[in-house]
Amino acid sequence: MLLILIILLPLLGFAYLGLFGKSLKEPQPGILASALTGISFLLVLWGVLSGGASWQIKDWLPGIPFSLLLDHLSGYMGLVVTGIGFLIHVYAIGYMHGDEGFSRFFAYLNFFIAMMMTLVLAGSYPVMFIGWEGVGLASFLLIGFWYTVKKNADSARKAFITNRIGDLGFLLGMALLYGSFGTLSIPELRSAINGSYVLPMGLSLAGLLLFVGAVGKSAQVPLMVWLPDAMAGPTPVSALIHAATMVTAGVYLIARSSFLYVNLQDVSYIIALVGITTAAYGALSALGQWDIKKIVAYSTISQLGYMFLAVGVGAYWIAIFHVMTHAFYKALLFLASGSVIHSLDGEQDIRKMGGLKKYLPRTNLHGLAGALSLAGFPLLAGFWSKDAIITATLNYPFGGTGFYVAGLTVALLTAIYAMRWYALVFLGEYKGEGRPHESPAVMTVPNDVLALGAVFAGLLALPKPLWNLVEPYLAPALAHVEVHEMSLALEWGLITLSAVVALVGLYLGYAAFTRWALPKWYQTFQTWSEKAFYVDLVYNTLIVNPLKELAVLLDWLDKIFDSGYLLLASSSKWLAEQLSWVQAGYVRVYGALMALGLVVLLVWGVLR
Amino acid sequence: MIHVLIFLPLLFGFWVLLAPQQARAVGLFGSLLTLLLGLISFGGVLSGADYAYQTPLLREAGVYYAVAWDGVGAVLMLAVVIATFMALLAAHDVPPAMVGLSLLMESGLLGILAAQDLLLFYVFFEATLIPSLLMLGLFGGAGRVRALIKFAIFTLLGSLLMLAGILAARYLGGSPSFLLKDLLAHSLGGGAGMWAFAAFLVAFMVKTPLFPLHVWLPDFHAENHPSGLADVMGTLYKVGIFGLFRWALPLFPAAFAAFQPWLLALAALTALGAAWTAYAQTEWKRLLAYGALSHMGIGALGIFSGSAIGASGAIFLLAASAIYTGALFLFAGGLQRRFGTLELRPTTGLAKAAPALAALGLILVLAMVGLPGLSGFPGEFMNLLGSWQASPIWTFVAFLGVIAAAAYGLSAYQNLFHNAPGKPAADMDGVEWQWGTLAVLVILFMGVYPKLFTELIMPGAKAFAALLGGGQ
Repeated sequence: MLLILIILLPLLGFAYLGLFGKSLKEPQPGILASALTGISFLLVLWGVLSGGASWQIKDWLPGIPFSLLLDHLSGYMGLVVTGIGFLIHVYAIGYMHGDEGFSRFFAYLNFFIAMMMTLVLAGSYPVMFIGWEGVGLASFLLIGFWYTVKKNADSARKAFITNRIGDLGFLLGMALLYGSFGTLSIPELRSAINGSYVLPMGLSLAGLLLFVGAVGKSAQVPLMVWLPDAMAGPTPVSALIHAATMVTAGVYLIARSSFLYVNLQDVSYIIALVGITTAAYGALSALGQWDIKKIVAYSTISQLGYMFLAVGVGAYWIAIFHVMTHAFYKALLFLASGSVIHSLDGEQDIRKMGGLKKYLPRTNLHGLAGALSLAGFPLLAGFWSKDAIITATLNYPFGGTGFYVAGLTVALLTAIYAMRWYALVFLGEYKGEGRPHESPAVMTVPNDVLALGAVFAGLLALPKPLWNLVEPYLAPALAHVEVHEMSLALEWGLITLSAVVALVGLYLGYAAFTRWALPKWYQTFQTWSEKAFYVDLVYNTLIVNPLKELAVLLDWLDKIFDSGYLLLASSSKWLAEQLSWVQAGYVRVYGALMALGLVVLLVWGVLR
Repeated sequence: MIHVLIFLPLLFGFWVLLAPQQARAVGLFGSLLTLLLGLISFGGVLSGADYAYQTPLLREAGVYYAVAWDGVGAVLMLAVVIATFMALLAAHDVPPAMVGLSLLMESGLLGILAAQDLLLFYVFFEATLIPSLLMLGLFGGAGRVRALIKFAIFTLLGSLLMLAGILAARYLGGSPSFLLKDLLAHSLGGGAGMWAFAAFLVAFMVKTPLFPLHVWLPDFHAENHPSGLADVMGTLYKVGIFGLFRWALPLFPAAFAAFQPWLLALAALTALGAAWTAYAQTEWKRLLAYGALSHMGIGALGIFSGSAIGASGAIFLLAASAIYTGALFLFAGGLQRRFGTLELRPTTGLAKAAPALAALGLILVLAMVGLPGLSGFPGEFMNLLGSWQASPIWTFVAFLGVIAAAAYGLSAYQNLFHNAPGKPAADMDGVEWQWGTLAVLVILFMGVYPKLFTELIMPGAKAFAALLGGGQ
């Protein structure tokens, strides 16, 4: 009952605001929606403290229950979703001030929370899929929130369709698992797989198919193209859906299914490869962006890549740990961007910013905390979780060193672009017109809380011999992977190396974009990076447009086909005349005549 | 009770045709009464009541008037009575005769679902055709003649073949009557069984429809009366999947086994091809026709998988799509009323002026796209689970259509509602609120609590799978 309430409260908020929101005056819808999300958070907390819960409707579909499950993993994730969700709801009360769609916005946000919690609390894959598609719909509605602008509407559709490609993978993966085990309940599958000596054929394929779903939802290469466009939505949406929660659903899916992936070394290797590729692609693309939100968006793609790298190498708890720290600092970065955009009346080009430190002192601190945490500045949240991922790759038996070097290189790039973002927005001289003004408290206070998280959340899980609260807490819900213990000296040596890399990157980013004249080769790189390496162009040319052409071709073929029948009909009429004497006397001829007579009668009636 | 339910609409239909002055009131009253009876009967079936009845019509020939509501029949019956009521509620500006003809069709459809005797089934199956043809012929659009001829020829050709098949099934199989249970006990095998099965197959493939016998469908919808009433009834009349489930496959399991790989391929190609073709359409009704065609391909895939869960999915899909496809045609009728055209013109930007209509349209489109939580999903998902067991490859091909569905569904939706506002139009009127609310409630209920229906469908589906020698 508790579990269904966690989902139902925001869902009722959605229904109420959707139907009657228009009659409420401005802050009311926001307060209602925030309160409901807050209560959901408290309910999750209560569930976690009371040791978990489960709930189900038996035979929701034949042999498939509708089951919800609150265990350590879903409880942890649920706290992140509703907690960060609550803060962003509150922030949005200020951000959406004066928008005509104010109540509609909060209706959608509440719908998102309900669906995300369905996804998180799911005890079986079909239920997870309900949430999975539901958050996709919420994302569609919120990206296209300002739908009168064609670009926004197009971005919304692009996100939904790209996600559907992934969803097909998810669907087929479920079909395969159901075919092999006759169940889609996660605990049942877990015990079936753990209990079998010989795993069924095709299990790798099932793992791969589920991963395709994760690739779509979490914007990994090659399905990453929708996320940058998703920035068309209002900034709180970017923070909540496209940074902190929904896009991490893919990571959550793999972690939830760790009992499966821990047996699939080939698929896990692919996951790690996709992860590091995405991490590099996102970081390289983030470097050249001029839009304040797009830098953060590509950074999200890159950070999600790190999380997949982590699950790929079997470091499940670290991936989930990074989900949490990332949720803090990335939500903070987006909301700080939102405050900047808000104060500049919608300006998003960082070339027209600069020097905002002076005008927006509070937001400046938020931006700084977010950027440093992202960059992996020593002792901040992002430092601990990212370092844990990079270090874990060294334990990976299949090319771990390669992953380590690549991960560390991307970390250097991360520090550079994080500093570029901060320096171009807040340092130097203000290059825009108008007078920036600091945001109201309803926006800055949530950011204060997020900033505290971005700075201190890493302290929950520190390397040996210090304390680690996250790993043992999550352990019962995740597959256990034996790792070769590193010596403390080596581990702390690597941590120091990470710290040095981050500091060097921060310095490079600061110096290169505020002091140095950039070399010529960098200009070329800048162009490519700004266009995100032309992936959209390639996709449109090679896939999207040919498919559109194909639809037209199919329609045309259908018409040809249609005419073919008519031709056949007229020729058989001639044939029938020649041969009619052969069959005279048979019942079916009379039947045919009857039918034909009816037609003639009707035609006559119509033409008359 | 079962007879009253089947023939009540017929009575009201003739009433309306003979006294057309009060067509709307009488029609609504008749269909509402039928709906109530349908709900009571459905409740009865749920609680285990047996409505079976049989009496000989022609004793020597072995023809019976035998009717019953089994679980599958009851679920589809409920869909028919709800959809008919919804359509009559929505179509407030149609010629009186259309109301009467719709009620006649409703009777025929209920008979098709209830019949337990093959010849009786055939009579209902054919009788329903007449009002359908009349509606298209008398009240259709400019191209109705061509559409009518195509529809008539395909349907009649199929029917005649099926009649031959029916006679063969009984006399060559040696069954003492046309009763379903007798025919099942005297299954016709061998070469004759193949031919008889093929004859049934053609008839039901026309009525599913499936590629390559689908060509009548887009014209049928595009040319029918713009209100959408005839389209709803036409959608209900697409009983091919039910015919395959109740008659064709169980009567000829051996022949089906030989045809199965080809049938799976046909179903999958229909599902994918139609979905992709839908994307290229420039008119609402054609788009909906191809979209519905694609769904029927998925349903057929579930039936042809021969599995219980696949067949359940197909029946569920059939019932669900009767409501959401029907509602979409009525929705299109509303567009016709507003703009005088059904063309999918870009940049209508209607959501600003008509937010309620935008919400209704979104829910209907998403049901069609198969979004979980709405009625389109459970059927599609069960089909997936079933057909995967029969053929992973064709399942993959068919379900590529779900990507296309998102593309054509959302593109059409956004063309109408998003982008910069164009010519303004009125938001939902009272009538639209009424039928729209009904449609949305049914769509939500079926999506959130499919259990109510699947538990009724499953026993029949299990028997079906057992007859075909299939698994779960």
